[in-house]
Amino acid sequence: MTVAEAEVSHDGIHDPHADLGDAGNYLKATKGWKTWAFTLDHKRIGMMYLASVIVAFLVGGIMALLVRTELAHAGETIMEADMYNQVFTLHGAIMVFLFIIPSIPAALGNFFLPIMLGTKDVAFPRLNLGSFYIYVFGTAFTVIAIVAGHVDTGWTFYTPYSARADNSVIWMTMGVFILGFSSILTGVNFIATVHKMRAPGIHWRRLPLFIWGIYATAVIQVLATPVLAITLLLLTMEKTLSMGIFDPALGGDPVLFQHFFWFYSHPAVYIMILPGMAVVNELIATFSQRKIFGYMFVAMSSVALALLGFLVWGHHMFTSGMSEYSTMVFSALTFLVAIPSGVKVFNWVATLYEGSISFASPMKYALGFLVLFTIGGLTGVFLGILSIDIHLHDTYFVVAHFHYVMVGGTVFGFVGGLHYWWPKMTGKMYSERVANIAFWLVFVGFNVTFFSQFILGSRGMPRRYYDYLDQFQPLHMASSGGAYIIGIGFTIMGVMFVRSWFNGEKAPPNPWASAGYEWMTTSPPHPHNFAIDPVMKRGPYDYHLCTEEELWDGFPEDFVPSDR
Amino acid sequence: MNPEGTLQLPPQMSTIAPDVDWMYYFVYWVSVAFFVAIVGAMLYFMWRYRRRPGQKAKPTGHSTALEIAWTFLPVILLVYLFHEGFSGYVKGIIPPDDAIDIRVRAMQWNWEFEHRNGVIDEMNMMRVPVNTPVRLIMSSSDVLHSFFVPSLRVKRDVVPGMYSTLWFEATTLTKPMCQSDADCNETRVGGGFESCIENRCVSNCDSDLDCARTSGVALGVDWGAAYAMNSYSCSSHQEGERGECVLPVFCTEYCGAPVGIDRSAERNSNHATMMADLHVVTMEEYEKFIEEGPPPPPECAGEADCAAWGEALYNSSGCIACHAVDGVRQQPAPNWKGLLGSNRAFVEGEDREADLNYITQSIREPQSQIVEGYNNVNMPPYRLSDRQIQAIVAYMRSLDEE
Ligand code: HEC
Ligand SMILES: [Cu+2]
Repeated sequence: MTVAEAEVSHDGIHDPHADLGDAGNYLKATKGWKTWAFTLDHKRIGMMYLASVIVAFLVGGIMALLVRTELAHAGETIMEADMYNQVFTLHGAIMVFLFIIPSIPAALGNFFLPIMLGTKDVAFPRLNLGSFYIYVFGTAFTVIAIVAGHVDTGWTFYTPYSARADNSVIWMTMGVFILGFSSILTGVNFIATVHKMRAPGIHWRRLPLFIWGIYATAVIQVLATPVLAITLLLLTMEKTLSMGIFDPALGGDPVLFQHFFWFYSHPAVYIMILPGMAVVNELIATFSQRKIFGYMFVAMSSVALALLGFLVWGHHMFTSGMSEYSTMVFSALTFLVAIPSGVKVFNWVATLYEGSISFASPMKYALGFLVLFTIGGLTGVFLGILSIDIHLHDTYFVVAHFHYVMVGGTVFGFVGGLHYWWPKMTGKMYSERVANIAFWLVFVGFNVTFFSQFILGSRGMPRRYYDYLDQFQPLHMASSGGAYIIGIGFTIMGVMFVRSWFNGEKAPPNPWASAGYEWMTTSPPHPHNFAIDPVMKRGPYDYHLCTEEELWDGFPEDFVPSDR
Repeated sequence: MNPEGTLQLPPQMSTIAPDVDWMYYFVYWVSVAFFVAIVGAMLYFMWRYRRRPGQKAKPTGHSTALEIAWTFLPVILLVYLFHEGFSGYVKGIIPPDDAIDIRVRAMQWNWEFEHRNGVIDEMNMMRVPVNTPVRLIMSSSDVLHSFFVPSLRVKRDVVPGMYSTLWFEATTLTKPMCQSDADCNETRVGGGFESCIENRCVSNCDSDLDCARTSGVALGVDWGAAYAMNSYSCSSHQEGERGECVLPVFCTEYCGAPVGIDRSAERNSNHATMMADLHVVTMEEYEKFIEEGPPPPPECAGEADCAAWGEALYNSSGCIACHAVDGVRQQPAPNWKGLLGSNRAFVEGEDREADLNYITQSIREPQSQIVEGYNNVNMPPYRLSDRQIQAIVAYMRSLDEE
């Protein structure tokens, strides 16, 4: 078959007549642990990341349940104050650094970025494997700190508390420092891939919105993570060499640390949320069979968020003693962030208009995302307003706000994406019925857990409290109850995926009737993604250019594209 | 002014609170409107365009006008919100010229307040005059802390190595309204949380249970009191005492917990219990306090010569860290049992009888006369008032009487 013949549009990317058997399945093409440990295949690396982040999520989730159990009652419930402080620190640090940041970009992104670009692999496959091992190494450091030590600083490691605390803080920050390198290298790799490796026919206006989001994320990772690395290095130097950088007892400035930390960690908020938004684009397009409304506006709003994200770090520090002038500037800039976020939400809702909307489980997560992210975003406006922020800062209102954005946003995006792409990644279907039950448990549990925290916070309940006054008891009780519902939901989901992995029904190439490029290959994909190098003749959302069969029959394996 | 608070916000007890709350509710209703519009449209489209056989999605159109509109129209609203928020903030930042100053020192896990003329209040006890602007000049001797009183709507980090300031004007007294058991029972039995709120006395009125609990000991849930969700806590930590209604001062910047020792249940033992009791008193009462120093607790019925107060001070001022009171242990500091009236020999070679004057000097200038055998630990000077020292002496006397 010549390239000209293989120049297929939407139909029949793979040679339909050749049954490649195991050789055409990246999971089975080669066997033995070495073929995984030393693989350069971005799909296998993506799967290894997926396994690691899921383990991290599990551990972080158990920590969350411990925290909520302790807080179900005022006073000591299951642990003492010092232990509690360690547990909530681990919850935060694990969820942020080991789960959310790598979840979508490193796991789903690694798997799908090259496929959605119609290419064989990322630009630097060895670097890709390297960044996975750096991630593993960084995780090991962090785990050592957890097992051997006593880290109770909160995930923000604020000085001078962290500078005086136990030495295991050094291990933990070194771990995070190493993890940062993994992020940077993955980011560089993705940027190069998007620029250089797109299949013929995928010009920038045909780039799937998932790629746009991951691309914007990669840019932030490359630019912001070094600042975190430097900060944590300075912290380590202060601790080991007793140099006065952040600790006033040594002549340092504790507020400087906060500036450095948030200079990274605010952009990092976008490292966390942009990928979630990126997945939701794909879900909404596929399940309403329609191109995202205002494609270019949505794509550019990701880039705008990535850039604006660098200018607003000071809004975490309105009460910390910055000058009034900088407070004003940061508040003003913070409002600007609301614009691109709003544009995205409006465009997503507009996409539903005149669509053909299916409520399959991945779409439920996308719609759930819309609701929760809207709440998360609007409560962010409260926090941007200076006079209100003074009251709400460091209370449960903030805790609720960022959980609505990080969990309601990113985690819903991740889980929605996992459901959506599971058939492609594993070649297996899962039980839609069970998936729906899990969704409702998670969605309802989430709102019970975190909506009550808004009220706790605005009533004045400070965060990171081991104990609280009686007046806060009922809402804390409700919040803990909700956390258990979420826990049950995720457990059911986990069991569902495990069962699917072992005895799931075989997945067709395109179970969701999507026009997306990644559905043009077999499930699971060929080791080289496509049996034949594809040439794209239409955009990833051009449903009106797809044939009925390819959408409704979902590229059945025996489907022979009509000769043109 | 809304001294009861609302479901979302605690009582308004300062001059800036009504403005802050107005803004809060304004944003709240704007958000509700946006939420209803967005989610309403979403739900309607979900229903209207649900997938049905034979019906295909229409190709996505394109409307630059719409895009521009929803990009730029919200900007107007946001500019307004920013402006209002900033002017409110500025109002809360610049103290009036006639504000009285209070020095606040934060340390793991206590608050100390120093008033005019160097009058230091009891640990974790804050008194401010009503309807008077108060400026706090705050410093920390260890890690970051943050001063937060929900009902005043003020918060400011307390940063080691620098001074931070904050001001407010409290508008409502925190006097206990229930003076007799009957009052308290009424607010309790009456059950309606309105009556409790009116009496400004909910979680602390009549039972030792309540008092013990606000000091951090969990004894189960009291749904009635909790439902009222008032912002007052109980100032009395003694079982069986009637508490006074106070506003809690929270620390909102994470500051840790002691490692290895389980004091979690005690007040002021970790970040979560680093609280102070804020009393809003009349100007006369405040002046009297400046004049005479901290008054004796209610159980002393106005008498300074009160062992119970002395014992409380022994614990709260930190004497307990060095001095024993059992008459047995001797290091690192002299035992208080048997001290009063005994003859003290000093390193310099003189000696003197331990009377009130001597005790006073030993507390305020401990280095002036060092007791023989105790020159390896330096006792820091304590600026206790005459009445407090009287109470400590009363406590020492009570030790000898046992
Ligand atoms: C750091 C440990 C320490 C603390 C805390 C401390 N003391 Fe002392 N105190 C000493 C030592 C050591 C001496 C004996 C040396 C001296 O006379 O200065 C002493 C002596 C005294 C004496 C004289 C005793 C005598 O034998 O003549 C009095 C009275 C006293 N302290 C009261 C107090 C009070 C009241 C407090 C709490 C407000 C307090 N101390 C807190 C260490 C301490
Ligand atoms: Cu503190």
